[in-house]
Amino acid sequence: MSKKKVISSVLIHVVLTLLAIIWITPIIWLIVTSFSGYDGMNTSRFFPETWSISNYTRILFHPDTVSQFPKWFMNTFIIAIFTCLISTSFVLMVSYAMSCMRFKGRKALMNLAVMLQLFPGFLSMIAIYFILKAVNLTNSHIGMILVYSGGAGLGYLVAKGFFDTIPTSLREAAYLEGASEARTFFTIVLPLSKPIIVYTVISSFLTPWTDFVFAKIILNSGISTDWTVAIGLYNMLQRQLLPSYFSRFCAGGVLIGIPIGILFVIMQKFYVEGITGGSVKG
Amino acid sequence: MSGKEKSKENPIAGFFAGIGAFFKEFGAALANGDMAVKASLLVAGAGYFRRKQIVKGILVTLFEIAVILYMALIGFPYIAQLGSLGTVQRQMVYNPATMKNEVNDYDNSLLILLFGIISLCGLVVSLLLLIGNVRNAYRIQRLAETGRHVNTFKEDCNAMLNDKFHFTLLALPVLGVIVFNIMPLIVMICIAFTNYDSNHMPPATLFTWTGLANFKSLFETSITATFGYTFRKILVWTLIWAFLATATTYFGGIILALLINSKLTKMKKLWRTLFVAAISVPQFVTLLLLRNFFANTGIANTFCSSIGLTGFLQDVGLISTNYIPFLTDPTWAKITIIVINIWVGVPYLMLIATGVLMNIPEELKESAKIDGANPFQIFRKITMPYMFFITGPYLVTQFTANINNFNVIYLLTQDVYTTTNQKMSASFGKEIDLLVTWLYRLTSEQYNYKMASVIGICVFVVCAVFTLLAFNFLIKGDKEETFR
Repeated sequence: MSKKKVISSVLIHVVLTLLAIIWITPIIWLIVTSFSGYDGMNTSRFFPETWSISNYTRILFHPDTVSQFPKWFMNTFIIAIFTCLISTSFVLMVSYAMSCMRFKGRKALMNLAVMLQLFPGFLSMIAIYFILKAVNLTNSHIGMILVYSGGAGLGYLVAKGFFDTIPTSLREAAYLEGASEARTFFTIVLPLSKPIIVYTVISSFLTPWTDFVFAKIILNSGISTDWTVAIGLYNMLQRQLLPSYFSRFCAGGVLIGIPIGILFVIMQKFYVEGITGGSVKG
Repeated sequence: MSGKEKSKENPIAGFFAGIGAFFKEFGAALANGDMAVKASLLVAGAGYFRRKQIVKGILVTLFEIAVILYMALIGFPYIAQLGSLGTVQRQMVYNPATMKNEVNDYDNSLLILLFGIISLCGLVVSLLLLIGNVRNAYRIQRLAETGRHVNTFKEDCNAMLNDKFHFTLLALPVLGVIVFNIMPLIVMICIAFTNYDSNHMPPATLFTWTGLANFKSLFETSITATFGYTFRKILVWTLIWAFLATATTYFGGIILALLINSKLTKMKKLWRTLFVAAISVPQFVTLLLLRNFFANTGIANTFCSSIGLTGFLQDVGLISTNYIPFLTDPTWAKITIIVINIWVGVPYLMLIATGVLMNIPEELKESAKIDGANPFQIFRKITMPYMFFITGPYLVTQFTANINNFNVIYLLTQDVYTTTNQKMSASFGKEIDLLVTWLYRLTSEQYNYKMASVIGICVFVVCAVFTLLAFNFLIKGDKEETFR
């Protein structure tokens, strides 16, 4: 019996090691290439021949017409902060109303939300572009913030699932004490919802960093200082630019990958709770 | 059974009953209301003034005036042109006063459609608000007549923080959804019924309604029109992709989670972190990186040819080039994309599966073991049903998300993959395109908005049909008690 266990234990560790190597290889390649002394993509060797940190110094301190990383970083950061504020408040407001209050049309609104999410995102994106253009908000931070946070209320399901787990008796006690619905929301429910607030804050903060589709449609001026990190880095890999910018792209990827990775690791705990917890209550 | 069906119909029946009650009360208000209530139809605040709710009356009346002004100045001119979408073509006209050629006062079909629809929706909503307002005035009249308390303005404000708090909470988010989801959707759905494409681009030229012509061309194939052919091919690949992508990552994730959480595994946390590290870098970085990793002259090919795999495949006859066309040959590209998607998706599923596996009641497994079940039987009869039960809804949303999985396909193949299929390239599709990437390419490269909208509607239909079927057949409500 124990011999069998040893064999299967070894087997499991061998399989896991192989899998881990597959999963981690691209990340290693990203990091080692970012320290490469060669500008383009090295197609013959995995590890670079010469090592240097010039990719980092150039991308951070020597912007040129193609690479404007510090500017992109600031643009994305500003957009992310405001998106995060608006989205989080929208999501929490809708979740509280849908989870803790009972009113006419609640079910109808929830069904409508499900239906709206079956349409592909860009379909409405094209029309949003024309609407923003009509009020002169394309190629602006405000336009991007509106795009990312305007419809945020639709993504309320995970937070609602969490609110559903807060015992009703707590709120009822508050009503008995004479607290208004608003007071209950702010002083009873919100303080108990720290995990889900953290999840919502981080996930909405990450949207502008990881999205490049909507940014590409709205920020279409072609002026590189207007861009967000995602489109800027994407642009570096155009066929003509790739030979001179590939390793700088990797450096940029590492630079934003580290903070995003940390936030992601904090968030993933709540992500799992949201998916597995929310579905049971429906 | 019949009782169950009744409860299913209830939301819809309830919805219509609600609308009926709304208009019935409006009728009653018109019939039994006093002069002030009836006057509310013209001057919205009249009913409130009569009951000394001055502030509310002023606010409502001001809102009414604003709506009327907007409609008269901006709304109605656009709505009036909705039928034709504009008639005056843009052209240069000689102006005798300035002795120069000047642009005439032309119509812009797109702006007419955009603002026409917005104004029309605004008009409908305003009319409903007006009716609701008359109803409210009548309710207050009844309160006053029966000698009950009529709220002051301050009390009304307080109610918005109390039993009407949901109005306060939902107002802005719903407005956001209307402006950024519903309005644009309506406009795009309308564009599916027009001829808005690169030959009919406002402001230079007008476009107009064409009825169902675009839908016909999507299902028709002739020598000149290849949209039908491309649509069929892309639809089939989209469904295959969505199925394979969902299934592979789902089962892969569960297997990985079982491996990591096995009692025999040491350093569980380290393993988990390694896999999470792979997905914590933004997708567009890793996918663009992998695209170059698997390029025809990329490092993966260098590796394959140095270990002799390329030569072996040439000998077997699987490839005719002296590199492996990971992302440039239709079949190879499809396989590579699915494999890379496994790389992208499995860690997420591993996280979720880990969460679920930890929640499986130990007694279930223990009692199965006592009954003599082997580990595989336990997996099949207990672990999997439990997983399906918890993650069922997630699986359905994951399938629709994969139908709309733009990132993986676009980032891996844009600028790299070119189609050799003449019929497909004539309608700007590629073998590896999903409906959404085809849609995106049609708009961003071809300005073919009409067909893009038609495809968008098709995507919606596919997703909606699938979701309805899945929720009705796969995830039945009566399983709720199974695992409690």
